[in-house]
Amino acid sequence: MTALEVRNLVKHFHGTQQSAVNNISFELSNGEILALVGPSGCGKTTTLRMIAGLERPDSGIVCLNDRVVASESVFVPPEKRGVGMVFQDHALFPHLTVSENIAFGLRGQSPAQIRQTVGEMLHLVGLLPLSKRYPHALSGGERQRVALARALAPRPVLVLMDEPFSSLDADLRMEMREHVRRILKSMQATVIFVTHDQEEALYMGDRLAVLQNGHIEQIGTPEEIFHESNTRFVSEFMGDSDFLMGKVTSGGILTEIGLLKQVVDLPVSTPVEIALRADDIDFLVDGSGNSVIVERFFRGAFNIYRLRLDSGQTLHASTSHTQILPVGMRVRAFISAEHPLTIFSEA
Amino acid sequence: METTHTHRLNLLWLKSNPISPRLAIAAGLVALFVAVPLIYIFIRALGAEPEAWQRLFQTRIWKLLGNTLVLVIAVTSGTLLTGVSMAWFTERTDMPGRKFFRWMLALPLAVPAYIGGIVHLALLRPRGGYIPQVLESIFGQPVPTPSPIGFWGAAFILTLFTYPYVYLLSAAAFRSLHASLEEAARTFGRSPFQTLFQVTLPALRPGLAAGALLVALDILAEYGTVALLRYETFSSAIFVQLSGRYDRSAASILSGILVALAILILWSELRLQGQARYTQMESNWRPAPPVMLGKWHIPALLLVTCVVSASLLLPVIVLTVWSLQAFLDPKTLTTVFHIGSQGFGSYVWNSLWSSGLAALMAVIFSLPVALLSVRYPNWFTRFISRFCQVGYAIPGVVIALSLVLLVNRLLPFLYATPFVVVIAYVLRHMPQAVRASESALNQLSPSLEEAARTLGRTSFQTFAQVTLPLILPGLMAGGSLVFLTSLKELPATLLLRPAGFDTLAVRVWMWATEGFYSQAAPVALLLVLASAFPLYFLLRREQIFK
Repeated sequence: MTALEVRNLVKHFHGTQQSAVNNISFELSNGEILALVGPSGCGKTTTLRMIAGLERPDSGIVCLNDRVVASESVFVPPEKRGVGMVFQDHALFPHLTVSENIAFGLRGQSPAQIRQTVGEMLHLVGLLPLSKRYPHALSGGERQRVALARALAPRPVLVLMDEPFSSLDADLRMEMREHVRRILKSMQATVIFVTHDQEEALYMGDRLAVLQNGHIEQIGTPEEIFHESNTRFVSEFMGDSDFLMGKVTSGGILTEIGLLKQVVDLPVSTPVEIALRADDIDFLVDGSGNSVIVERFFRGAFNIYRLRLDSGQTLHASTSHTQILPVGMRVRAFISAEHPLTIFSEA
Repeated sequence: METTHTHRLNLLWLKSNPISPRLAIAAGLVALFVAVPLIYIFIRALGAEPEAWQRLFQTRIWKLLGNTLVLVIAVTSGTLLTGVSMAWFTERTDMPGRKFFRWMLALPLAVPAYIGGIVHLALLRPRGGYIPQVLESIFGQPVPTPSPIGFWGAAFILTLFTYPYVYLLSAAAFRSLHASLEEAARTFGRSPFQTLFQVTLPALRPGLAAGALLVALDILAEYGTVALLRYETFSSAIFVQLSGRYDRSAASILSGILVALAILILWSELRLQGQARYTQMESNWRPAPPVMLGKWHIPALLLVTCVVSASLLLPVIVLTVWSLQAFLDPKTLTTVFHIGSQGFGSYVWNSLWSSGLAALMAVIFSLPVALLSVRYPNWFTRFISRFCQVGYAIPGVVIALSLVLLVNRLLPFLYATPFVVVIAYVLRHMPQAVRASESALNQLSPSLEEAARTLGRTSFQTFAQVTLPLILPGLMAGGSLVFLTSLKELPATLLLRPAGFDTLAVRVWMWATEGFYSQAAPVALLLVLASAFPLYFLLRREQIFK
């Protein structure tokens, strides 16, 4: 069943030329986690806030469980939407204890019921011993979990999470990712998760929507987004791709570093670009090779070399961490990928 | 990086959401309340007969303007010198007893300048002062001593009792300064002395300038001290016109000029407010290492002790001694503690309820203004907020004049009631409440209110259950400040009070100017103590006292 439907959502801000959100549409099924990912200012947070009712769309429709909550004629205020939100800064009420924060959204229930729900939520996020503490006495990860418990406690139809891990340090972020995803799945919550971190989006989302300049570039499963990028932007943003020029021939695509034997449905001699990630490229030391090593980045488990082809084009290649070669050495680069690569025709 | 981005987004959102009409109307009414007395003064000044203008311009205005400006400049420089150097001693050196001296240097704010003036005058008066008398009895002939009467006396006394404003601001600024700033200067080859003048003080400049301008506004408005020390300024001249000769057009003209001057200063101060901070406490802040005074310990201690003695210890000790004399003299005792409607209890009660009511009203009035300017920042709401701070630029005597004229004409039933006094306090001290409410709201992240909305609260419930409890300490601070300054207020109270409505400040003034020091002393001491309470509460919120 569809939990959320967003149709043609548009939002402008005063004093800005460009629209923050420009005609965004998508649907979300019950129990699904959708990750909205994109660079800063792409409109992902604005989209989230319009769904929550914290912002009014200029046009477009938001439906929650088949009920219109925002349209040209309807605007349901946030308190009547029944969505839960986890804020970037957690927004825990500093004057209330952990328990009181979690109970804040539970109204119209008997005190016993409230106590029970709060207890269940505290148990779920593993914070039972801290129930009487005030937010200032909690660590970053604990605050994060209280914020999640508070948003989940009233059993919202939809949970909105706005960069919830951005205030945590890197180690904790990895740990919280797993923990939070497990909790969300155990509650079968329907979730929209906003992040600017591609890796986090790939981990958290059942599906991903990649946003740029206020519109959705591509929406799909993590695998689709990563391997079958629709646009150059998605390919570049999701996987640090380089783009190599090529020309379609009958036997594949001819490039500066050799022939890619991949059949494409394009007329012969169409100019194309191939998206290449560092693990798609390899090279051999060769004094008469096609490129020169410009820089080496040591990444622990492997080395990444930046190569400059004779045309001036830059490519990145990853090799094992034992192979250390000097800058300036001439090498022969070639495409080593054994899976189909993403091709963009220039047109 | 992402945080600043979201912050920007929130601001954009705030701009894009329509202003709540109820809030806008409430704030507009407050602005109107502030505007009417101000505009009325200008109307009366411009509407005065040309002869009155001519007469004043030919005779008095230039002298008054000169007197006033010279005093303002002298006191502002004096407070900057005293305030910054005292702050440097307590915040940046290893002087012993810094914690104790911090309190001692801030507490003179509880002593109204005119009470300080009374004490110093009694001690140093050329004829009949305690010190000249004692010296004469020792040497057998009069010994010349510095006189507190006139310009130098007024500048000295006002500096002594207003420097704590600058002291508190500069101490906070010294404290918040990042150690690495000075360390960076040292690595670029500056000596500690050069670092102080080339890096530290310039970094504190915006905050200090704002503090100095507030002192300047205070001096423009000062009546009690200058009247006591017989130095004529705009304020005291207006007071004389109003109470003695009762020449309303002359008073209006002088008031118009005084307010125009004050608005000029206030305008610069408001412009500085926006950029008042070059530095701020960051998470990686660490205090700069203190300067080792070494052999300079003794001179430093002597200097700080001198300032503390003259501005706090001396007044309190002298008042205590006089109070003891009063208690030992049954006649004085019955005058002071006279039972009945005019007795001691009535001054205390009058002071407390009028200042308390003014504080409450000022805080309530400040709320819509602050909510509007913080939650919906644009040029219009900023204008409303700044306009409501114009009270800083309207001296007590001018508010009194304006209210006398306005109440007579528009609200005659209020005439000669204590409520006019309360309205004067609210008008004069509302800026402090507006600033306190705005800073409390600014510290509240909008996401807290949004969280309450997504958890099922309407905007009004959100205000009552989340916003209000969280900004309450800030509102209390604003209220305490209004209470404290209303308690000390003199000229407006003197001019507006109905017959028989005596406050602590009024009683001290009346008795002391008639020379009944021992009679005035217990009342003055109580006034100082009553001011010290809210001041203690306010100071404890300051970073340097934590």
